[in-house]
Amino acid sequence: MDILNALMDGFSVALTPTNLGLAVFGCFIGTLIGALPGLGPVNGVAILIPVAFAMKLSPGSALILLSCIYYGCMYGGRISSIMLNIPGDEPAIMTTLDGYPMAKKGKAAQALGISAVASFVGATVATLGLTFFAPYLAKAAIYFGPADYFALYVMAFATIGGVAGVNPIKTLLAAVIGLMLASVGLDPATGTARFTFGSYNLYDGFDPIVSIVGLFAISEILMYFERIAGEGGEAVPLDRGLPKLREVFAGFPASLRGSVIGFICGVLPGAGASLGAFVSYNVEKQVSDKDGTFGTGDPRGIAAPEAGNNAASGGALIPMLTLGVPGSGTTAVMLALLISLNIQPGPLLFERQPEIVWGLIASLYIANVVLLVMNVPLVGIFTRLLSLPQWLLMPVVIMVSFIGIYSISHAPFDLFVMIAFGVLGYALRKLDISLVPVVLGLLLGADMENNLRRALSISGGDFGILVHSSIALAIYALTAVMLFLTVIMARRQTGKAAS
Amino acid sequence: MIDRLVGLMILVISVTVFLVARGYEAGFGDPLGPAVFPQMVAALAAILSLGMIFRPDPNPDFRMDRARLKQLATLAVLIGYVLLLEPLGFPVSTTLATALLAALFGARAMRALATGLGTGVGLYLLFNNVLGLPLPLAPAFIG
Amino acid sequence: MKRNLLVAVVMAAGMSATAASAAECIAPADPGGGWDFTCRTVGRLLTELGIEEAPVQVTNMPGGVGAVAFANVAGKRADEGDLLVATSTVGVTQIAQGKYPGGVDVMRWVGMLGSDVGVIVVPAASPYASLDDLLGALKDDPTSVPVAGSSGAGGWDHIRLLMLADSAGMTGDAYKAIRWVQFDGGGPAVTQMMGGQVGAVSTDLGEIAGFVQSGDIRILAALSDDPIPAFPDAPTAKAQGYDVTGYNWRGFYTGGEVSDADYDGWVAALNTLYDSEEWKAAAEANGLIPVWRGGAEFETYVEQQAQQMEEISRQIGVIK
Repeated sequence: MDILNALMDGFSVALTPTNLGLAVFGCFIGTLIGALPGLGPVNGVAILIPVAFAMKLSPGSALILLSCIYYGCMYGGRISSIMLNIPGDEPAIMTTLDGYPMAKKGKAAQALGISAVASFVGATVATLGLTFFAPYLAKAAIYFGPADYFALYVMAFATIGGVAGVNPIKTLLAAVIGLMLASVGLDPATGTARFTFGSYNLYDGFDPIVSIVGLFAISEILMYFERIAGEGGEAVPLDRGLPKLREVFAGFPASLRGSVIGFICGVLPGAGASLGAFVSYNVEKQVSDKDGTFGTGDPRGIAAPEAGNNAASGGALIPMLTLGVPGSGTTAVMLALLISLNIQPGPLLFERQPEIVWGLIASLYIANVVLLVMNVPLVGIFTRLLSLPQWLLMPVVIMVSFIGIYSISHAPFDLFVMIAFGVLGYALRKLDISLVPVVLGLLLGADMENNLRRALSISGGDFGILVHSSIALAIYALTAVMLFLTVIMARRQTGKAAS
Repeated sequence: MIDRLVGLMILVISVTVFLVARGYEAGFGDPLGPAVFPQMVAALAAILSLGMIFRPDPNPDFRMDRARLKQLATLAVLIGYVLLLEPLGFPVSTTLATALLAALFGARAMRALATGLGTGVGLYLLFNNVLGLPLPLAPAFIG
Repeated sequence: MKRNLLVAVVMAAGMSATAASAAECIAPADPGGGWDFTCRTVGRLLTELGIEEAPVQVTNMPGGVGAVAFANVAGKRADEGDLLVATSTVGVTQIAQGKYPGGVDVMRWVGMLGSDVGVIVVPAASPYASLDDLLGALKDDPTSVPVAGSSGAGGWDHIRLLMLADSAGMTGDAYKAIRWVQFDGGGPAVTQMMGGQVGAVSTDLGEIAGFVQSGDIRILAALSDDPIPAFPDAPTAKAQGYDVTGYNWRGFYTGGEVSDADYDGWVAALNTLYDSEEWKAAAEANGLIPVWRGGAEFETYVEQQAQQMEEISRQIGVIK
């Protein structure tokens, strides 16, 4: 078979000692960068590009190093989500919902184990998809037009009410607050400055990483003072050592489902890993949350979004390689790297430079295995972090987040925005309003609006275009089914509570 | 009660946003224009805020006590840190801010200072030298 | 944890020694775009060719299509001699339309190293065989063909289309009715066109050259004086009777109070870079035509371009 032969050639490129060493190094640095709040895969890859050039790596090797960093960041982002309730990067926000409660119950090691395995499953499914179906999927993805993307976002927000928090009205309100925050800045279609109060600093809107770190990390330290005042200091119970195999595989079926959903989201340029993680979590909750355990540390609530975001980031490589269209910030950076290595991604890449493509794909398989193997012993090290005294852990985490942001933008203004978001996050938490929908609104709001406006620009203002395509109609039908399921599920739970 | 107040606040903000957005207009080439989507969102927020006003949750626990003072002190340290980051340079300002935060979290003076120094110097080396992300080293008036 | 970190520190410190006094290049956009590419490629080559000793540090400062970086440099770093900021025709268009805090005279314009060429493309199976066909159809009914590009309404991609419509004899009201769809880059615009969402795309060639080579799309017109070297068969708009050109050059400015010595140093450094084989190769790989303008010549060029752009913008009604 052609593909398998090509893949074998790819492995012969990727398995040289140098490249293998680079893969291990990349995985480690990637995990580290992903775990630092404020630094995500975009920065991780951008930071390491000069290193790759300074080492005078061949294009193939540079690509292997950078893609291992990319995958490593995706693995690393979940660590602080689980341990500290602070997402290391955007796609890891969903992991806070069940990961952090689980860690608080003293099962941090199990949570980290589950997420490592789920990440592995997700990334492997995506890499398999990339190996066997990339050209076909790319051809299918181009038929996804603005009206269809808009339908996808409508689905995400219409079903958000059931995702997190107790009070669905407040959860919806949280998403709407996020959407409002997303409209700050220059409007890309017309260049109109909206809600910027004349400040150039707000022209680009609120940076997602800045807002996430503010909302989660700073509000976390503010909440901390109240918790210790209330409980007289908390000691997080620790499960020392490695989790049991059976515990780690508790979410395995969930991670398979999450992988497929995340992968589909990843293949669509513009949907990306955050949406992948969100939809995976949402669907998993509809399918399997029969006892209302999601949000309290359910293994499936960790497995699904972790598999989802890793599968999505693998899937995002497909439009990037075959169409030259980056589906996310990170793939945009990888695209820039490829171009500066004189590799032109696009429809001809697979024909013209097969050794590069297949070397890359092979290295992704290797990165996955390396990350899984590396992450098992790391579980022990990371859980030990929790036993550090709070006066050491918390200030350092906060400083790392500040510097992570500042080192990229060099704008003190961003840090003020972060503090303001911290106060906002604190207020929302006090009011029992979940933070996750705020971030989703902020992350997806601009794309939702842009696609609505693109659709209407194409139709000349005729709203009928929104329901003309069969893809959009199918998505709306799916939305209706999911809403229906949510209602049934809620009924059943109140029934149970009553009996 | 607090839910009602916050709901009312969100209602006021949404109405303001709706009115401010009316001023955004596109020249040409954009049928929906920059105003409609923010207005749709603002209208939705206004409707949802009514939910908070008419069906409020019980009040969250909020008293003026030691915890509150510590929160305010933390915010003051963070804001001060941002203001002093560029004038004082990274290592000095970070050492100070981290030490103060550590003290707020209950560390003893020496330990707080050690944490501060370790963070200030360690993070500088990590970001500036390892990751290649330059940070201001010396106070502005020196170099 | 500490030990692992230390290992990482040692490993990485061994390979990337960054001097504190390194030159800096600000890319006023997120990583991955054209300005980011300009900074990273030029920065890398300056070091590799030994023109700069220490590695050039690239800083991303996105916001307001370059306005944030412009405001930052004008306000805080106007006299820093070791600083370059990447820009292009798109940036000058923004300045001309009054979207930056200040005019072109606020900065010192160092030089341009290459230029991308605007093109009008259609899907391979499109019914429009020539620019005449497309503009004819738009003349009959401006709403008949939605056109996409990477800039918003009134941005450089859109203006180039309107310039063609203007030279085809369409009236202002008619060409303002043309449906314009903005995407986040030329690649997304072209793939959406291949998916049947829009009928044509107006954007720079560099980012989408692969689709022309693969035969998925056709160039109806190149907005250059002479045919593009990589695609000699693609007709220019001029050859089809429409006197419109639309380049997108890539270059740099630096703060307005930078000393003459530092400014001349940068001009000389970029000139040396331009003369190298390595730059020619990198430019070609990205669909850029190497073109050099530096120093005083470049300053005059930018000034004139800003003036022209202001006139065009006013004429087609982007600004009042």
